[in-house]
Amino acid sequence: MSAHARVPPRLLVRTLVASSLTTLVVLGAVFVAITLDTRQRVTTLVSANLAASQRAFVAFERRRVREASLQAAMLADSPTLKAALDTYQAESRIAGSSTQAELLRTVQIEVEKLAARFDVDALVVTDPGGRLLASAGQRSADWPAGDVIRVDPEDAGEEAVVRRGRTAYRVFDVPIALGEDVVADLHVATALDDRHAAELAELSNAQVAIVIGSRVVGASLPSDVREAIAAGTDTLPADGEVTLNRKPYAVRRVFTVGSARFYAVDSIGAARSSATRRAFLPLAWIACGALVLAVAGSLWLAQSVARPIDALSHRLDRMAAAQRFDQPLPVSGTSREVDTLARTANALMKSLAKAESATQEAYVGAIKALAAALDARDRYTAGHSARVSAFSVMAGRALNLPDEDIEVLRLGALLHDIGKIGISDRVLTKAGPLTKEEYDLVKQHPIVGAHILKQVPHLAPHIPVVELHHERPDGRGYPYGLQNDATPLLARIVHVADAFDAMTSARSYRSAQPVQSAIAELWRHAGTQFDARIVEAFVGAFSASGAAVLHEAWREPDAHAPAPSLLRAVGGGLA
Amino acid sequence: MSGTPRARVLLTAAVVAIGLAAPPPPSVQAQAGARIRGHVRFAGPPNRRPLAATAYSRRITTPSAPQPAVLSVVVYVKDAPKRSAAPMRAAMRQEGEAFVPAVLPITAGSTVDFPNEDDYFHNVFSLSRGASFDLGRYPQGQSRSRVFETPGLVKVFCHLHAHMHGVILVLDHPYFTKPAADGTFSIDNVPPGRYDLAAWHERVGEAVSPVAARAGETTDLEIALPVIVE
Repeated sequence: MSAHARVPPRLLVRTLVASSLTTLVVLGAVFVAITLDTRQRVTTLVSANLAASQRAFVAFERRRVREASLQAAMLADSPTLKAALDTYQAESRIAGSSTQAELLRTVQIEVEKLAARFDVDALVVTDPGGRLLASAGQRSADWPAGDVIRVDPEDAGEEAVVRRGRTAYRVFDVPIALGEDVVADLHVATALDDRHAAELAELSNAQVAIVIGSRVVGASLPSDVREAIAAGTDTLPADGEVTLNRKPYAVRRVFTVGSARFYAVDSIGAARSSATRRAFLPLAWIACGALVLAVAGSLWLAQSVARPIDALSHRLDRMAAAQRFDQPLPVSGTSREVDTLARTANALMKSLAKAESATQEAYVGAIKALAAALDARDRYTAGHSARVSAFSVMAGRALNLPDEDIEVLRLGALLHDIGKIGISDRVLTKAGPLTKEEYDLVKQHPIVGAHILKQVPHLAPHIPVVELHHERPDGRGYPYGLQNDATPLLARIVHVADAFDAMTSARSYRSAQPVQSAIAELWRHAGTQFDARIVEAFVGAFSASGAAVLHEAWREPDAHAPAPSLLRAVGGGLA
Repeated sequence: MSGTPRARVLLTAAVVAIGLAAPPPPSVQAQAGARIRGHVRFAGPPNRRPLAATAYSRRITTPSAPQPAVLSVVVYVKDAPKRSAAPMRAAMRQEGEAFVPAVLPITAGSTVDFPNEDDYFHNVFSLSRGASFDLGRYPQGQSRSRVFETPGLVKVFCHLHAHMHGVILVLDHPYFTKPAADGTFSIDNVPPGRYDLAAWHERVGEAVSPVAARAGETTDLEIALPVIVE
């Protein structure tokens, strides 16, 4: 594994990222869908608007022409006008009339009167042959008397397009009739220019462009759009979408007069962007809300998963630190998976503990076997370890020690002399007194015992018992000469129990002492060699239950028969 | 020949005419004059434009023809010698929102009465060169009159009813007439000679036929209007 091993992210980060990403993807999809839908809707709406504009436009146009025709016809029903026109024509047929100019002036005055009551660009009177007799209105300069009005076949119709100079006019006419005869025509001309386009735009609620051939003669549009239309008049659809200056526009041909085509134009782009803006604002709010919800949800989710796991791992950490696996992990019930994890861990720990205790038992058994083998090397010490163990437990109970300490005491006492394994039989079973070298060798046995126990890690609590069970309160013990409380309580207890059993057992070099003298000996050395409080507890306990304890020790499978003297003494003690 | 019954009819007519209008009978000239008799065949107003609602469209409305157009025709001798014809007194009535007769040929110096026979006001005015006048408005039962001295065409209108129009043809000789509804006409007492006979309609124009008038004779003519179909 490399030194820069990647630390996996926290669950919270994962859930946050996952939920936020999901939310954002969903929101993005919604946004795209809404945008597309809005665009589609706007296009449809704009087209529908143009269609509505067209209907309004056509209806309005028809009515305008009809009403204007009626109005013009009524206005043209002037007797003076008719009389002047008719007389003028009657006299034209007779050459050389001097009153013609006067009659034409009469006609001109009448037309001007009409024009004053008719808001129109030009009001023109022609004879039935189309020759201009009189004109009035602000653009009458385009209609000089004497000209003949010509209309291209493609421009003819109920309303016609008449080109005068640079300006094209839409013109309708009303006949000026006298009885059955048409004596003249009255033409109502409207210039097809920007002003007219602006008027129509105002009425139809759409922008208007008037196109003749490839020329935009009038438009209510900005000049750049107008130029774009002029550049592609051939491609303008009758009804559809067109791109002008790289922006989408809806275009509809709403009306034609001769060769003049009237287009309603509406910007889709502007409508789209405003509609998208309108749609985006609530979406932004929804997005904020969704993100907040996603973050809150993932926090909760991560917490609900991570917290029990954290609790479990924390507990496992503590258990590992304490080396204690006997307490099962709690089944929190927050989620099935976490519970399964806890149960699995518990089962694992249980089997581990089982294996552990089996191992421990194997070790302990091996060491007990060693201890038993040690005891067996010398018939005098047979059963010594078991009895010391029993006495130590008895004394410990009398001192109200907790169960854990009792257990340490039991095994520690059983193994207290294990270090003697390194002492030769010659020294150990020597009949006579030991030389100083031999005694020094014997005094090494607690250290040797401790060394042996260190090989087994979980026997660590028992080491002090083995190592220090020959220390004395007055500091004259071995191997370290610790004083009073410097020696752990358990070691002091074993010290007393060891001494008592040694005294009441026979040795190769002496016979067994009676129990009473041994107790007396304990009391005599209480405070110097032995801890007085322990001696007191030991003696009290021995008086109360020594026989039972011995009996118990006797029943231990690896215990040897107690010394007959001790049994006697106990029996006597009880008697 | 069938001269006797015809002469009787004419005599009767002359008696009636004398009795009604009492014009001085030109009996002396009648002896020496010729009679031009004929028939005007009116083929309709070919150059009359179809009355369209608008000149720019091809839509046509059928014109109604309340009166035979031949009644608006005047037949006259075009190049008759000028002679001071006796002034006449004629009437152009205002009746049913129209001038009746719509076309009235008279001799120069004649007086025309314009009686109003409708039960509402009418007016008579003219902008024509020969006689520019305005007789003002007047009610039913009243009549105004005007003397037309200058030969030529006078168009009269009504200021109150823009569609009313009448034509008065002032001629400097008496050799004219209006054909009957069937187109027949007859002009009497024409001085012998070779003339152009014109059948004139205000809007259709003139059809001119050469005619030789011989004293005491009757010349028959067939005139078709219009002569030239454009």
